This record gives sequence, structure tokens and C-alpha cells, in this order.
Amino acid sequence: MSDRTDRSVPAPEDDFPDPLEDYEPQHYDDPLEEALDTRTVLDLQTVPCETVPSTATIEAAVARLAAIEHSCLLVEDNGQLVGLFTDRDLLKRVALEYPRIKDQPLSSVMTADPVYVNEDDAAAAALHVIAVSGHRHVPVLKLDGTIAGVVTPRRITAFLIQHSKS
Amino acid sequence: MALIDKLRTAPVKELHLRSALCVEPNQKISAVIEAMRQANLGCAIVVDGENKLVGMFTEGIVRDQIAANPGFIEDRVAEHMASTFPRVKLDDTVDLVLDAMHANNTRFLCVVDDDGCVRGLTGQKGLMEFIAEHYPRQVMVQYVGGPKLPDQREGA
Repeated sequence: MSDRTDRSVPAPEDDFPDPLEDYEPQHYDDPLEEALDTRTVLDLQTVPCETVPSTATIEAAVARLAAIEHSCLLVEDNGQLVGLFTDRDLLKRVALEYPRIKDQPLSSVMTADPVYVNEDDAAAAALHVIAVSGHRHVPVLKLDGTIAGVVTPRRITAFLIQHSKS
Repeated sequence: MALIDKLRTAPVKELHLRSALCVEPNQKISAVIEAMRQANLGCAIVVDGENKLVGMFTEGIVRDQIAANPGFIEDRVAEHMASTFPRVKLDDTVDLVLDAMHANNTRFLCVVDDDGCVRGLTGQKGLMEFIAEHYPRQVMVQYVGGPKLPDQREGA
């Protein structure tokens, strides 16, 4: 005669395998690898950043870029990122046509739908975005989709130097 | 080998070097910009008749000039180029690229051989590609307006 209770409920003395029993802390070969994996993009310093609406004129955007000596403007509408306007956009779509198109909206020459990272992504994500997409400026978004900042080439090199020399 | 050791020991020639765009000092800036567009490069190396490096012309110079003086594209490139600019040798280590970019606040580095001849360009993108290649973990990238992550799990 079988005892159903004995079969369905483990006895308290039975060994129950702990899923974290073999857990080992992450091992890193060097401090740079550890920093890239454990630091977030916010540790790359993502502010200050400049934003403009997509309806701004090209002339206004170019003047702004030159005035602040930055190479990237974030283009936002209603608090949402819609594009980037960078030195490269200026070179490729504006420089030779500037007098003719300077009154047109920025949306006609910006880079739309750029690659981005979230603010809690690992710093490595920003580097990979640059490597994969070729974009040198990586917008950083909060989880609600609003803009948290931008990762720039200078901020990345400063981060790499800080963690490769330590 | 650890990533940091790779940076310290790998030579510059292991980076994905891009072909340099060389122009002459007397070329008009409009022609140089057109050539930069065609080559999809953010800088041009200015060399004299003896193939000697005399300057670098970058998209940053275009940005700084165009707002104040849109007609500058009719000038000669020699009038607006940077006459001092960083360069690295093929056998220098990759961490020197990082140091040079940081110290000079530049995204482009001219790569020269032992004779001082231009062998290519590297900089921000080349360095990031090198790190991405040797970084031992997976990273996801995503596009604004790009394909959304699946809302249904895949597989059984």
C-alpha cells in the first residue's frame, strides 16, 4: 500500500539543490574590462548636451554648433529624441549648399533614428555602438525615452584612459 | 590576453586603417569637401609636391568657419588647415593612439611609416572597433525607430 503524501512532498531532510550553489562572482582579466562591464554609460559623463528642435533652421543649428564648439546637437521634439546633427552631417549635406538651404528646417539634413543606449546600459554598449554603426556620438536615453545626455568621443577616451592607466 | 594588455602591446598596424585622402595646399576647399564626401572621411591630409605632410583639414574646421564665413569654401585649403596635428607610426602601440587622441582632443590620427610617409588614418572608430573586437562579452545595440524587441518569446 502506497503513501501518496510521501511521494508528492519532499521530506525536510531531502537535499534540495540550491541554484546559486555554484555561483561564482564575475572574474575580470583587467580593470578596463571590469570598468566597461560594470560601469554604466552615465559614468562616461553624458552631460552637458545641447538639444534643438527639428524645426530649427539649419543656420541656427550651425551657429549653435560653432558657438559652443561641440560637434553634435541632439534633435528632439516633444521631449523625444528624433535625430542628431553632427559635424559629419554638416560636411555631407550642408557645407557646399549652405547659402541655398540655410533657412530649411534641421530635419531635412539631420541623421534621423540614430543608434542610442539606455542610461543603465554598460559603458561597453556605447563603444560597441560606435564600432558597429560608425556614429561617434551616442545619445543616452532614460527608460521613459527622454534624453539623458550624449556620449562623445572625448568622454570615451577620458574614460578609457582613466581605467587603463589605473 | 587581457584587453588592457592588447592595448599596450598591439601595434597600430593591427587597427583597421582607412586610406588617407591626400590633397594639395592649393586646392579649393569646395573641392576638398567634395572629395571628403566621396571618401566618407572627416578629414583630409594636405601634402606638398614632395609628398611631405604639411597640414590636416577636418570637418571641425568646416564647422568653425561656415557660420562666420560661408564663402570660405572658395579659399585654398592651405589658408584654413591645421598645420600641427598628431600622428602615430605603424609600429607604435595602440594605447599611444588613445593618448594622442585624448591629449590633442582629436578624432583623427595620421598614420605614418618610418620615412614619414602617410600610410593611412585611424582614430575614434578604429580604436572602438579594436576594443569591440577584443572585448570578451556580448553587447546589444538598438536603433531609435528600429525594429522593436519581440514581445513574444521565441521557441517552444
